[in-house]
Amino acid sequence: MLAQVVFSGLALGSIYGLVALGFAVVFKATEVFNFAQGMLAVCGAYFAATAISIFGWPFPLAIAFMAVAAIALGVAIHVLLIQPLAGRSMLAVIMVTIALSIVLRAVIEMIYGPQGRTLVTPLPNGVITLGSLRISELHLTAALVSWACMAIFAAFFRFTSVGLLMRATADSHEAAVVSGVNVNTMNRLAWGIGSLLAAIGGLFLGQLQIVSTDLESIGLLALPAVVIGGLQSIPGAVVGGLLVGLIEQVSASYISPKSTDIVIYTLLLLILLVRPWGLFGQRELGRV
Amino acid sequence: MSDALYSKPRIVARVAPPLNVRLWRLLGVALALAFLAYLPFVLAHRSAFGFRLTNAELLNLGLSQINLMMIAMLGALSLNYLTGCAGLISIGHAAFYATGAMTAAIVGTQWGWPFPLALAAAAVTGALVGIIAGLPSLRVRGLYFVLSTLAVHHVVIFVFLEYQFRYFDVVGVPYDPPRLGSYALNTSMRWYFFLLPVVALVYWGFKNSLGTREGRAMRAMRDHELAATAAGVDVRVLRLKAFAFSSAIASMAGALQAYFMSNVTSEAFGLDFAIQFIAMIIIGGLGSLGGSLVGAAIWLLAPSIISGLAPQGGDASGWMGTLLVEHKPQLVQAAFGVLIILLLIFAPGGVAGLGRKLKAMLSPQRAR
Repeated sequence: MLAQVVFSGLALGSIYGLVALGFAVVFKATEVFNFAQGMLAVCGAYFAATAISIFGWPFPLAIAFMAVAAIALGVAIHVLLIQPLAGRSMLAVIMVTIALSIVLRAVIEMIYGPQGRTLVTPLPNGVITLGSLRISELHLTAALVSWACMAIFAAFFRFTSVGLLMRATADSHEAAVVSGVNVNTMNRLAWGIGSLLAAIGGLFLGQLQIVSTDLESIGLLALPAVVIGGLQSIPGAVVGGLLVGLIEQVSASYISPKSTDIVIYTLLLLILLVRPWGLFGQRELGRV
Repeated sequence: MSDALYSKPRIVARVAPPLNVRLWRLLGVALALAFLAYLPFVLAHRSAFGFRLTNAELLNLGLSQINLMMIAMLGALSLNYLTGCAGLISIGHAAFYATGAMTAAIVGTQWGWPFPLALAAAAVTGALVGIIAGLPSLRVRGLYFVLSTLAVHHVVIFVFLEYQFRYFDVVGVPYDPPRLGSYALNTSMRWYFFLLPVVALVYWGFKNSLGTREGRAMRAMRDHELAATAAGVDVRVLRLKAFAFSSAIASMAGALQAYFMSNVTSEAFGLDFAIQFIAMIIIGGLGSLGGSLVGAAIWLLAPSIISGLAPQGGDASGWMGTLLVEHKPQLVQAAFGVLIILLLIFAPGGVAGLGRKLKAMLSPQRAR
């Protein structure tokens, strides 16, 4: 029983970790706390659903379409909404992301109707039995793909020159500008990556459940995940995501299904009170 | 923080204006009062000065919408006091509404206390919960504090849900018909004349509290915490006080809303409910109490005005017509979202900021 719960917790947690990673990339680059991250995951799921069931495209082409559309969406958000608000207060930026998620939800419901759709993909759908442990192949694929994406992006940030420039920009905008880095391009790239990671997470969430705008609340679990892991820390986002997935499954099966939110948010509150910089973050030192 | 989002304090010497200005002002107040006193009769009888008015001419408005708007005004005022004046961003305002609704249920529905006492109890509990919710502000700043209010929101809503299912069921928590002594609040008209002075009183209270030493200290704290501390302001105590005051009013508004609806479920106080108040104060203008009234009015009344226009749009063929008829709620949501985005980008001061700009353009003395 416990092994079963832990496995599905870790599998779901990997998806959360992926969405949270996208969130952390955006936050590190532009210091925008993106409340629309859950909605970006929903958009990804709908992009895939559109390509597969409306256009009738084959799966690889549909995935490519989803990736391009998600990146374009992220870049458009940065150009149209975030750049004009540069240098403005935190509330303005937070509120613009909230308003964005309201608009995206309304537009999706206007185009596709409020009822959900099923997502039919050739991803494996069976169950592997390992002793008493029943492993859903879909969970396993989701976890593996999430880990692969995380590894790819970790390598991207670590080994490529663009990744290096992005890290430099995130560390210090001014120093990056002085060194001749086009900071706006780097930030757009960060938004594109953030949106893409959310979309991949959304694809799996839509596959595990049903594609509807209600997926937003699941995608929004990336927020506590990121903060528990540490806002400034990329590995922290992944670990936070795993932790949130684990807590969700354990509390749902051992306490009650309704209790998941309160357990996660109580942990968040405790972390904020005791270690506001999160498990992996660096303590922020203010200078007067 | 020098940000155009907040209203800048104006330093104007307090000199009594000339007599004719005072007379005009008096006339304006009298006209406004007459309008507010006559409005419910217009809306209730659907006629003004003996002339019948159609639904479209009344902008599709009804009296209970006006009442709901006034309850929302209390929430917007208290949030603007906290966020716009004290600089503490909170997305936990729905939690205080829920606190008020729950207190009213325990005290009013279960113990049978009269309505005014239930309201007072809601305000007291709200202040206590507000102090607890404000405690993280002693330790964390900015973004982290916003998140702690989000966490508080989830905790309070969970408690409400558990309470609702333990003592009542899925249908929601019922409330007795409220009465003030022998004045039963059983019609929209009576609610209107009860809520109008309440809103005026709360507005006046917030306004005056901003003028006191602590009110000015609070705005100093919003603009520059260190400078305020250096000037001898104890920001920790001040934050908790602002939180207690604001959440007491929000909690009272929650109790009022619960009595007005006469039945409340935990879903009524979701995150969307909290976000709508932030939207109201952004539309109205952060830091402007009058702006919060305008923001609440726009947020609550605009949807039905748009719906009122829908029948005309329904005749129009093509996708506009189907959009208006089939997806009205989504259309309203999208319009509001776009409105907020546009305001944030192009008019950060909200309606109040636009008003100030207009005034500066029209008054010859202040022209620069």
